[in-house]
Amino acid sequence: MAQDDDSIPHPNPASIPPMQFYGPTDAFGFGQLGEIWRTRELLYSFFLRDLLIRYRQVVVGLLWVFLQPLMGMLIFMGLFFVLGTKAGNSTVAYPPIILTGMLCWQLVASSFRDATASLVNYRHVVTKIYFPRMLLPLASLTCAVFDFVVGSLLLFPVCAITETSIVWSTAWLALPIALWLILFCAGCIAWLSALNAHYRDVGYALPFALQLGMFVSPVVYDVERLRTILTDPWIWLYEANPIATCIGLLRWSLLGTQPPSALGMAVAAIITLSVCFSGLAWFQHADQQLADRI
Amino acid sequence: MSLESIQLDKVSKRFRLGASHEYGRLTEAIVSGVKNLVRKAPNPRPKLSLDSFANRMEDDWFWALRDIQLSIQSGDIVGIVGRNGAGKSTLLKILARIVTPTLGRVGVRGRVGSLLEVGTGFHPELTGRENVFLNGAILGMPRSEIRKRFDEIVAFAEIESFLETPVKRYSSGMAVRLAFAVAAHLEPDVLIIDEVLSVGDQAFQRKCLGKASQLGAQGRTVLVVSHNLAAVANLCHRAVLLQDGRLIADDVPERIIDQYLSEMRSGDGQRSWDDDASAPSSREIRLRSISVRGNGIDSPASEVDIDQEIFVVVDYRVLIAGTPVSVQIQVRDETGAFVFWSANAPSMNLEPDPWFGKQYPVGMYRSECGMPANFLNDTRYFVSVLIGPEVGVVALRQDSALSFVVHDTGAMRQEYTGSWLGPVVRPRLNWRTSKL
Repeated sequence: MAQDDDSIPHPNPASIPPMQFYGPTDAFGFGQLGEIWRTRELLYSFFLRDLLIRYRQVVVGLLWVFLQPLMGMLIFMGLFFVLGTKAGNSTVAYPPIILTGMLCWQLVASSFRDATASLVNYRHVVTKIYFPRMLLPLASLTCAVFDFVVGSLLLFPVCAITETSIVWSTAWLALPIALWLILFCAGCIAWLSALNAHYRDVGYALPFALQLGMFVSPVVYDVERLRTILTDPWIWLYEANPIATCIGLLRWSLLGTQPPSALGMAVAAIITLSVCFSGLAWFQHADQQLADRI
Repeated sequence: MSLESIQLDKVSKRFRLGASHEYGRLTEAIVSGVKNLVRKAPNPRPKLSLDSFANRMEDDWFWALRDIQLSIQSGDIVGIVGRNGAGKSTLLKILARIVTPTLGRVGVRGRVGSLLEVGTGFHPELTGRENVFLNGAILGMPRSEIRKRFDEIVAFAEIESFLETPVKRYSSGMAVRLAFAVAAHLEPDVLIIDEVLSVGDQAFQRKCLGKASQLGAQGRTVLVVSHNLAAVANLCHRAVLLQDGRLIADDVPERIIDQYLSEMRSGDGQRSWDDDASAPSSREIRLRSISVRGNGIDSPASEVDIDQEIFVVVDYRVLIAGTPVSVQIQVRDETGAFVFWSANAPSMNLEPDPWFGKQYPVGMYRSECGMPANFLNDTRYFVSVLIGPEVGVVALRQDSALSFVVHDTGAMRQEYTGSWLGPVVRPRLNWRTSKL
């Protein structure tokens, strides 16, 4: 071994970083959370990048954040008007019902879609530089959350026009409910993005799954309307879908509709937690071979 | 005080060959998983132990690195030397944390930066300013640090007036300058330079090496992979030699370079495998020998005169009847620069080969590639042989299988005796002058 004995000391001996060993620190992938926290500035940079790219070279710019849920709302309102079907069965006017559904669904759909493709789209970065890979799908999620939060402002004019009153006493609960939905999305995209990096089939199957998901969640109709068709055990099964539960809860907290059943909520909560924990562990496992396989 | 900056503890890495064919699709993974369940057979994956692998290539697995033990002190500048395919790039990728080792443990102190990926993460739609922040963040610089050095970076890149222009409107030179400026202002504790992967020109590579010695002088650790042996000798305090994925020597650069060159020079113009087990082979084909011959000489020769036609002769056995065969060769010079690639195909052949596109019956075959006289320069060349079912597809390969030297006989330089310009080829071309 050739070694210079008079090697120059580290430029700043006071701040000698500790020796860091690579590899998982725990089997459940909790170590990733600390790493994400330490690199949150990079998450912000990725978020900013996605946001800037999205609204570059478009004429109406950020207006799209409002246009997307508004168009969705108008399309289905028109559709049900032409068909003469009633999609809502509550005392609340239909437009705010469908708008809350649309906002939630666009959070789910756009975060799933963008996050699933994120690792593969940034393959050239992932295979050349290290950073916590979870940041890429999370950046897609933060973008979707941004759209969700800004788009929510539409509720005020829509409620005003339809003369619907927001239930202020429970409205603050909308925040934890939205966080629940975001948490569920985070768990799912941890699964989807890493799966797609290994098996591209996931990306091809996703659009169909999302189409199906939109109709098995109360996006364009409300649960009261569904209760006129489905009986009890089926309703519980339906509410076990965390997306359905969250939309139902959100409408309850803001508009005062019927809340989902306690049993459905409990199952949905268990599903959410298991998706999150398993997603974390799976992502860490998949990450080990990501650069070789992607 | 010398502080350990990098520590590799029995690090090995294996890759799966043809992974995209086998488990690339989810359906196939599920099907094979179900099959295993039904058969109640144990998972067919080979057991993870180095001892069970005598060969570097085992079924579909390939050991890119084996049992690397290495410890580097901070402030060291270490060169990594080895043939193409010896595992240098894999080693760097493991240190950069991009690739996870299959076995062993890697520890690094502080931030790792690499000049090998200049401009990674640049987005064409974003402006120069936005890209500086994004790229800096990807490289690991905190935003506050980027903000502090922003003016410096922009001045270095000389793009002040284009800051608010999307990078897609930049000339390629401007984009590279900006990318390099960001990378150069990153101050990593460990800097990795891979000349083979970097795309820059000579001037750019000189800049990289200049940056390396500057960082080394500041007491940071630098790792260099370069085919420029003179640069390694000048820059590094220490060098390691990789061969077939193993670290075989660790010494002062001069001695490592000597050992590397003598390893490269070995050979008498022929490499043959008498033992079936050790011969490079795929399921269909087994390599028997590779040799270089001069025109009119029947025996292999490692030295050929410049005015002779040169033949690369590949002997191989076809193991399965009906196999299509395409023999391909790659020729590189001593610095690793790619001279040319050629395959036995009508488009690359002076006369059509009657065997081209045929299904080969089982048996021994010989494919020859003749290179014209007065084409290569008087230097050393390395030949890699690749065989596959069709052009561009590789089923088996032998990198830098052998080398040969072309000798200047003087016949070609009767008029000019200075050192020859353009080192790689020296063809005789068709020159004419006429009075207009």
